[in-house]
Amino acid sequence: MWWYVGKRLLQAIPVVLGATLLIYAMVFLQPGDPITALFGEKPVSEAARANLEAQYNLDKPFIVQWLLFLGGALTGDLGVSYSGQPVADLIGRTFPVTVKLAVMALIIEAVLGIIAGFWAGLRRGKIFDSTMLVVSLLVIAVPIFVLGFMLQLVFGVKLHWAPATVGGDASIGKLILPAVVLGLVSFAYVLRLTRTSVIENLSADHVRTARAKGLPEGAVNRKHVLRNSLIPVVTFLGADLGTLMAGAIVTEGIFNVPGIGNLAYQAVQRGESPTVVSVVTVMVLVYVLMSLLVDLLYAALDPRIRYA
Amino acid sequence: MPEIARPGQERFVAPLAETPLEETGTVDTSAPPEGQWKEAWKQLRSNWIFWVSAVLLLFILIVCLFPGLFTDINPRAADLGRSKEGPQSGHPFGFDAQGYDVYSRVIHGARASVTVGILTTLFVTFVGLLTGALAGFYGKWADMLISRIADVFFAIPLILGAIVLLSALNNVWSGRGYWGGVIAVVLVLAVFGWPQMTRIARGAVLEVKNLEFIDAARAIGSSKWSNLRRHVIPNALAPVIVTATVSLGVYIVAEATLSFLGIGLPTSVVSWGNDIAAAQSEVRSGRNLHVLFFPAGALAITVLSFMLLGDAVRDALDPKAKKS
Repeated sequence: MWWYVGKRLLQAIPVVLGATLLIYAMVFLQPGDPITALFGEKPVSEAARANLEAQYNLDKPFIVQWLLFLGGALTGDLGVSYSGQPVADLIGRTFPVTVKLAVMALIIEAVLGIIAGFWAGLRRGKIFDSTMLVVSLLVIAVPIFVLGFMLQLVFGVKLHWAPATVGGDASIGKLILPAVVLGLVSFAYVLRLTRTSVIENLSADHVRTARAKGLPEGAVNRKHVLRNSLIPVVTFLGADLGTLMAGAIVTEGIFNVPGIGNLAYQAVQRGESPTVVSVVTVMVLVYVLMSLLVDLLYAALDPRIRYA
Repeated sequence: MPEIARPGQERFVAPLAETPLEETGTVDTSAPPEGQWKEAWKQLRSNWIFWVSAVLLLFILIVCLFPGLFTDINPRAADLGRSKEGPQSGHPFGFDAQGYDVYSRVIHGARASVTVGILTTLFVTFVGLLTGALAGFYGKWADMLISRIADVFFAIPLILGAIVLLSALNNVWSGRGYWGGVIAVVLVLAVFGWPQMTRIARGAVLEVKNLEFIDAARAIGSSKWSNLRRHVIPNALAPVIVTATVSLGVYIVAEATLSFLGIGLPTSVVSWGNDIAAAQSEVRSGRNLHVLFFPAGALAITVLSFMLLGDAVRDALDPKAKKS
């Protein structure tokens, strides 16, 4: 088990290196001079330019810039943005907000999706099942930003049940509406996955055995059907946390949430290359760690799977 | 010579003359056996969901190819005097903030969205099938190399990576027109989309590669290359086709998302994503909802059709998945 974890972590190193190099190349290997952009209309003196180029390592070859960035990142120093703020501070401020938002979305989609999917699977083909299938199709087909607008309009602007935008402090109460929007699409997937899994398990041998030995229907459904149906769902949820954090960029834009997605988007717009590469690096790390966690979860939940 | 019947044996022996073989229908050995694709088509034909989505998609395709059949109004003709007017006779979807006719914009916007979806899917499927088949079939260092490169691209989230690459592209290739804009979005989505298809194709090829008929083909002397082309790839195609159909809808949504973020198609391109983005400020005020409703509805119907088609194709091609 620990051998497996170590092997996977070792395998993740080239992936992380490659991904940062790729993003670094996309951000820095393009024409245009960030120093000129920094000064706007004002003329730049040669000394100030040389000074800034040295500060941001722009005077060094591309590969050296990247290596210096990596070296800094390993010691927790992500450099300074062009506007003069330490990037680590920017990420330290925004990352927890996005984690909070993504975890809330995950809880909402998991609870609602599993309950609805379980119910629909037990009563396959009945009215609740059909309704939920239509709802899940609609939720998947309508783009998330349209859903976001609609919920913002109905609950935020018209009914005043929740604040329409989040703004400065992101408390749990303010984040509920954005979390619902963020979790909606995954809710549909959780629902469909749970439903399929429940239907599959209902006709499984161990469930028939449980019935045959006279266990009451409720206990069979809870202990034998639901439990085994949750294995694929839990692994989906694990992988989804990373997707939610990356996908939060749209939701955070609609509700003005001060999260890492908003930070990334604004950094791209303003040409803040040091911030962009750092944010993407963080997202890649989240993805790599979550996929490792999912594989371990899979082994923990399903005794048939063992990693050597 | 009479047979000596031992006690108990006689009832097991049926005299041949009394039970003539019944004549059965002749088997046409010249025709090939019904293949996977014929079976799948049979199944698809009897699925009403397939027909509903196919008819819808055919209609959408006609709209994309010949928008002039459905409207004479220029989608770029602004009539500011009628800005935000609601649906009315002659203008069934009303006007948007710029005074554009919303119906005409919805009709003309189909082409950009659907083109991005189809081209990206073709691109991703081609690259993914090629790399996946190579990795799965040749194994060893080819597999190592392709899989690791795919991992690197896969680790970068689609929308985030697309935003970064598109903004980089804006610096080198600004002021691209209609087709330039479409192709830029297609390329960027394909750059981050191909690893998924590579993984699926690789898995399918690995599964097929070790089946007995592949050994048989090798035994009768077919070369490695012709083996891959004529036996392995055709038999590994089913999961690739299913994924491609579903991802058509995914890429259409991705284009709309990028355009909504203001970084996808240039604003001069008439597209559903751009119109939804433009409707954003209208919706915040809670009035003139028709400006959002019609382009969003068109987008949703298109995506839904592709998803339903994908579901139907999956049911037809993969009988194991037909449990739900």
